[in-house]
Amino acid sequence: MWRAQRHRTPIAAGARSGGLARRRVALGCVGLLTVALAAAGCGSHNRSGAGNTPRNGGTATYALPANVTPNYIFPFSPGVDFTVVNLDNLQMLMYRPLYWFGDNGLPYLNEKFSLAYKPQYNGQVVTIRIKPNLVWSNGEPITAQNVVFWMNMMKAVGQTEWGGYIRGDLPDDVKNIHVVSGSQSEMQMTIIGKYSPQWFTNNQLSQITPMPQYWDRTGPNRPSHCTQNVSDCAAVFNYLNRLGADSATWATSPVWKVVDGPWQLTGYSSQGVLTFSFNNKYSLPLPHKYHITKFREIPFTTEQAEFNQLQAGGSQALDVGYLPTVDAPVPLQPGSVGQNPVPNYNLQPVYTWGLSYMPINFNPADPQVAIFRQPYIRQALQLLVNQPAIIQGALHGYGKPSTGPVGNSPPTPYLSQQARRGGLFQFNAPAARKLLRDHGWDVRRGRTTTCALPGAGPSQCGKGVGRGAALSFKMMVATGNAWVQSAVLQLASNASQVGIQIQLSYGTFNDIVGIAIGDCGPKKNAPCPWQIADWGEGWSYVPDYLPTGDELFGTGSIGNIGQYSDKYNDRLIKATLQAPNKSAFLQAMYKWQDWLAPQVPVLLQPTAPAALFESIDNLRIGTQSPTLALTPEDWYYVR
Amino acid sequence: MITYLVRRLFQALVVLVLVTVVVFGFRWLLPGGPAHALLAANPTATGPGTAALRRDYGLGSPAAVQYLAWLGQVLHGNLGFSTVQSTSVGSLLAASLPRTLALTLTATVLAVAVAIPAGLAQGLIKGSVADAALRGLSYLGYGMPTFFLGSILILVFAVKLGWFGAEGPQAPGIAGVITDWRDLTLPVLTLAIFTGAVFARYARAAAIESLASDYVRTAKGVGAGYRRVLVRHVLRNSLIPVITLAGLSLPQIFGGALIVESLFNIEGMGWRLWQAALKHDFPVLLGFILVIGVGAVVGSLLADIGYVIADPRIRFTRQ
Repeated sequence: MWRAQRHRTPIAAGARSGGLARRRVALGCVGLLTVALAAAGCGSHNRSGAGNTPRNGGTATYALPANVTPNYIFPFSPGVDFTVVNLDNLQMLMYRPLYWFGDNGLPYLNEKFSLAYKPQYNGQVVTIRIKPNLVWSNGEPITAQNVVFWMNMMKAVGQTEWGGYIRGDLPDDVKNIHVVSGSQSEMQMTIIGKYSPQWFTNNQLSQITPMPQYWDRTGPNRPSHCTQNVSDCAAVFNYLNRLGADSATWATSPVWKVVDGPWQLTGYSSQGVLTFSFNNKYSLPLPHKYHITKFREIPFTTEQAEFNQLQAGGSQALDVGYLPTVDAPVPLQPGSVGQNPVPNYNLQPVYTWGLSYMPINFNPADPQVAIFRQPYIRQALQLLVNQPAIIQGALHGYGKPSTGPVGNSPPTPYLSQQARRGGLFQFNAPAARKLLRDHGWDVRRGRTTTCALPGAGPSQCGKGVGRGAALSFKMMVATGNAWVQSAVLQLASNASQVGIQIQLSYGTFNDIVGIAIGDCGPKKNAPCPWQIADWGEGWSYVPDYLPTGDELFGTGSIGNIGQYSDKYNDRLIKATLQAPNKSAFLQAMYKWQDWLAPQVPVLLQPTAPAALFESIDNLRIGTQSPTLALTPEDWYYVR
Repeated sequence: MITYLVRRLFQALVVLVLVTVVVFGFRWLLPGGPAHALLAANPTATGPGTAALRRDYGLGSPAAVQYLAWLGQVLHGNLGFSTVQSTSVGSLLAASLPRTLALTLTATVLAVAVAIPAGLAQGLIKGSVADAALRGLSYLGYGMPTFFLGSILILVFAVKLGWFGAEGPQAPGIAGVITDWRDLTLPVLTLAIFTGAVFARYARAAAIESLASDYVRTAKGVGAGYRRVLVRHVLRNSLIPVITLAGLSLPQIFGGALIVESLFNIEGMGWRLWQAALKHDFPVLLGFILVIGVGAVVGSLLADIGYVIADPRIRFTRQ
């Protein structure tokens, strides 16, 4: 899914800047305050004093990402509510997915923390077995029927109401969903079509969130039968949807009190502060004997406000917050962290399991599409993206260069040898100039590069590109993210060295994504006002954890914003989805990505940290997952 | 006097109706028209939720019918529901308005309380070193951007010295906000320094003008005491431009101070309005602008009454 919103909607990379230079400027301040500043120089506080003896209990106060608050509690979120903050900061704390992904900082299936054992495949039939002795907080056992409840709801309203729906994926690719006769814990379904078990587990079953029997109702005292009859599910959805969208009743509604996760929502203030208490009936294992028992999430208007609060502490001190990138200390060595500007806190950068890129517009109606259909043009543009400079400059040393169509942070076996070695097109403006000249473009200093040799020959501009065609592109950029602003300015500057004009236009995150997806994205062939777009990051492989290219690069896929299309690419992707075993899957993945990387279907940019976490010294939070799942049940205080 | 008040009340009512018409009309100015304005927050919704939204807002009916339906809802206290925030606009207002009022009213009162005596004193010591120093200070307060001033105050008094909070009060309700002086101090100071500097400049100019006027000379000539001249003649006339400024500040008092609210983590009127605009949260935009408009109109009315009290000439000319 795109990364601002968890699936099928771009990630709000944005809200991480917000006028932050002022703190530095402030240091050179005016005479009026010089005396006060001098007096202040000796007043830094010390709030912690950590030992090493773990203790049970305590409250952790956590800063929500700036300018974002959860707005939907029902874990069957419609499109616009299918966001990272709703899933990670609210729903998954209370309602656990059937399969848990995240294992020691890697995005793999973690059976220990899953509700079911690994699925068994027998031909087209997949069997799911719920672990014994698992219960909901109201005492109901967690059963296979709870999984069927979710599947039935998907069958009934998934296509229109579930934000993660993709045509052809769940529930379209399964039939005959049923609880195994005589069993409470086993259910089966039959897969329609040929898919590899690995893909089906990681990218289809990974999306299921079992729902308690208590939710099968259409009103406070009106039980229903969605768990048995799909036809009853629309009314149940309407009831739960209405409840889920009314934040005023979240903490008091008996419906949302029934949880299988480690946390229950016990407070929601009009200021957007969420308070969770530990669910004493939580029945999955915990990683430690000790854990906190209360967890508070605090909203912030801007990153700077959060950072001020993090530094100042006081009555509402944060135990876990984050550092704005512009305030991040530059690390002395790559992979390390710099001198933490917040005393008594530990700094931990967290990178999302995903791919950071700028889509290129291949919409047939786009006036520049003939130019973008030439792979060498895309390669030349990629040669002008200086990823190391962006990381060292705008990202203050925190970032990972992207190397190909498969995300490389964290490195996984899915990466080919070629991608592990680094990107094919490292920043090299002379190479970009040569590439253009070798294909018949007139590149002159101070002028826009134009096609001098039209035609489809190897040393000509390419099919459909006429004489005099100019390399002048419109790029739309989401505001609100300082490093993105800096990176696109740098790209425009680099491009101008070879006569490529990039005209930047800016809009809010919502506007940019709306234009890219809605007005001239995969759904319509209307003329587009953009050739390149950048909303900050890109795609997160959550909860479709395998980085296969079907959602991002497959012809007609909803995630393929730029409408890249190639039949051979589609065949290679299909091979990854249908590989019969793990070894064949990896070989298919390598073959596909090594073929696609030189095609440059999107412009790669560095992966920025999802957050630079700051946790107070006496709170142990462990390594944060690249799936961005928040697990405060793993946290404990020491004294 | 009563005729004047009735006439002003009637004018205020007409302006209020116009405000609602203009605010409601914004929907037609947005790209995609009025339906898109409501549904843009939930563009993929096609199910029963959307149908309810269309029904509630009367989408598809003539504009006048939609307006009357909306006005009817407003008069019944229903300002709509924010699909972005998952809560009613009324509850968002209830959370934001007290914080904003506590912040802006306190800052304005503080600014007036400091600016008027300061301006008056400057008028009396015009041209002296002290006057120059006070003028310099007011220029500094006036010229310093609030985000810069606020950041310095936070850095010094919250981060380094720890005397005050780095964020605004988070307690619900106006009482909770006002009693949390530790967290309220820095945002109020940030706003008050700027506002006070502006007020002081005007008060000084008015005081100088009053001191040189015929009526002050006459009052002195007929033997009025220094205190009486100062309070009855100079102060009273110096108040008029400050009342004008305070009246002009009313939209800000209700509309919040976006930069200060953002800096101090106060989800007040200004910040919420800004977010609603960015997120296409039209019900919130509509409701908030309406309340700010009503506040501004009512406030202007009060300012006009203040004029009448401060300057009897206005009463005579009206009558």
